[in-house]
Amino acid sequence: MLQTLALALLLLPAAGALVLALTALTIPRTAVRLIGPGVVWLGFVCTLILLVDSLQNNTAHDYTYWTWIKSGAFNLPVNLLVDRLSIFMCLVVTGVGGLIVTYAVGYMDHEGDASYARFFCYMDLFIFSMLLLVLAGNFVFLIMGWAMVGLSSYLLIGFYYWRYSAVAAARKAFVMNVIGDIGLILATFAIFVQYHQTTFAGVFGALPKADGFWIEVIGFLLLVGAVAKSAQLPLHTWLPDAMEGPTPVSALIHAATMVTAGVYLIGRMHPIYDVAFWSHSTAALLGAVTALVAATIGIVQTDIKRVLAYSTMSQIGYMFLGVGLGAYAAGFFHLLAHAFFKALLFMGAGNVIHSMRDEQDMRKFGGLWKDMRVTSICFLIGSLALVGIFPLVGFFSKEVILGDAFSKPDQGGFPQVMWAVGFLTAILTGFYTGRMWWMAFWREAAPDRPVAQPHEAPPVMMVPVIVLTVLTVIGGGLQINAGFDVGWRKVEDFLAPVLGVLPWAPRSLEWIPTAATLLLGGVAFLLAYNIYVNHTWRPWSAAVPWLQRLLERKYYADELYDALFVRTMDGAANAGDKVLEEPVLDGLPTDIGAATRAGAGTLALTQSGFFRTYILVFVGGAAIALILILLVRATS
Amino acid sequence: MPDYGQIQVGAGTLDARLVLGLAFILFLLGALGVLVRRNPIVILVCIELMLNAANLTLITFAAQLHNLEGQLFALMTMTVAAAEAVVGLAILVDIFRVRDVEDVDELSELKG
Repeated sequence: MLQTLALALLLLPAAGALVLALTALTIPRTAVRLIGPGVVWLGFVCTLILLVDSLQNNTAHDYTYWTWIKSGAFNLPVNLLVDRLSIFMCLVVTGVGGLIVTYAVGYMDHEGDASYARFFCYMDLFIFSMLLLVLAGNFVFLIMGWAMVGLSSYLLIGFYYWRYSAVAAARKAFVMNVIGDIGLILATFAIFVQYHQTTFAGVFGALPKADGFWIEVIGFLLLVGAVAKSAQLPLHTWLPDAMEGPTPVSALIHAATMVTAGVYLIGRMHPIYDVAFWSHSTAALLGAVTALVAATIGIVQTDIKRVLAYSTMSQIGYMFLGVGLGAYAAGFFHLLAHAFFKALLFMGAGNVIHSMRDEQDMRKFGGLWKDMRVTSICFLIGSLALVGIFPLVGFFSKEVILGDAFSKPDQGGFPQVMWAVGFLTAILTGFYTGRMWWMAFWREAAPDRPVAQPHEAPPVMMVPVIVLTVLTVIGGGLQINAGFDVGWRKVEDFLAPVLGVLPWAPRSLEWIPTAATLLLGGVAFLLAYNIYVNHTWRPWSAAVPWLQRLLERKYYADELYDALFVRTMDGAANAGDKVLEEPVLDGLPTDIGAATRAGAGTLALTQSGFFRTYILVFVGGAAIALILILLVRATS
Repeated sequence: MPDYGQIQVGAGTLDARLVLGLAFILFLLGALGVLVRRNPIVILVCIELMLNAANLTLITFAAQLHNLEGQLFALMTMTVAAAEAVVGLAILVDIFRVRDVEDVDELSELKG
């Protein structure tokens, strides 16, 4: 029963995508509105049933449906792993995903019929891919889900395929994601060569107890996949460009679900990372650096969606920091919290963009507090959760990560350094979030605002935003310990059967950094008011223009990659074109064709069409043959 | 003078060389006719002439060697000749329907 339900959960969105793909040109809009979000919500119901079972029986199921490939030592079953971790992820994917797809019903309403159906087809395809990724019970299915998630991301970023920038962004995202896919595939090869297993259960059972060369290789290769999918340094440049996609896509794929797949991967592979010290620490380091770097870039962005994109990178950096230090549950709690408040922020921004006729430049907003009161309140709550203000969900989840990092016992003080970076990032987060809020919503309307009297979003868009606002407000109640040793920790307890319990206890001094983070983040949020609303302070950028330029160019990462890889590849391709393609690959077949044609032309002359000529040749030939035969007879 | 064989014709005998020589002349006439004549009907007739020359050699050798296979082959050749004549004439009739052909050299559309 539950076995079938797990399969149904996986296949429902696939069926929805298939139906929409086959009927996109003829299906009425009402049917699209029903099927698109409907299959996701049905999946959510399935997940809830699995959740109830998991809470009651506390067992992890590894459902094997049939054997797919069996060849020598290679045995690949079709199996779905339904344990606490995958149910947790399915809840996020179908729950938050359902809200976002429902929101898209309103947001995409001005699209033509075919585009409308195409959009929901892609969305359902994405949900299916993501569910495959989190439910996969072996590495091959994991890779399939992993790659299909990249594919649906590509399709959705390039949804407005008539815009050059959208297509370029889609291609960039795809290429970056494929780098990650290759890392994951190579990791799977290494795992199979070492342990001769394809299923998670089999691999984890065969792992060595101590650190070693191969386990580090596997750890680093998996990390390549995780880093590319989660837009962490150094494979981060695709995420801001991915904002070319429609806003619900940004909310679903580039905030709530897909980009957190890297966190899921590290969490799912925690038996490997528990052993592989260096690759595990590298994950934490990359997360911390990304958190800081992305937050600094976020300060100077003017496109509201790009600010949110950099803050997404930054927050995923926190999650990497958490899971990289071994505080898995903390990382996953922040994943959940981030899905709530970042989807909320993106959809709030979507409401604004929708009413501003697709303008995304914050400098042209302003005055929205007066005109779009409900969206503004929701956006403010989301912003405060992003900053980490008590008692919103972001406060608890961020403090768990920072608190666990602060308290982790370590000789070299590495976790404490990570904590310091996270602390600094939290202050910067307060500042750029404040800048976004004051600039876009609070201050006077900009003189060049595209719409004088913006209207509030329709109910189908407002309801998901309000639901997420409520979740953002009450979600913190799931785990109120916030790094302290008091209060319940429901997320950690829920995930404990898979991820284990935190192996170290919080320190007694932890309230000091927590209070400092809360205070300084909040103060930074308020200080932005002085710069961007009442201009009592000179903007900091006036003092250090070179720094502003550096940040606006995103530390020249795009330019660097362009020079290192794109130009090199272009040069190699051009050289290959001149040396190999034109003379050999292109020239040789052309020459053969020309020679054949010329030979055929010559031979064709013999086909005169005169019947009697043929007969003459025929008779002459027969006569010659006869004479030859007679001669041979005569001589022998 | 070597014996080139006699064949039984009715009550008497006949030198095989005479008959084979006749067949050779008939074949030559046919072949030359196909080569030099331009009227398609005449060409068909000449083809028949060649076939019958071949038939004559077949039955001559059959009689000379006392072997019935030659006669059987001659019968088969006649069947094939009849079929060939039918097909050839049918093609000609079709061509004549489209246009009036007096010279086979006019039918050279299939040249390379």
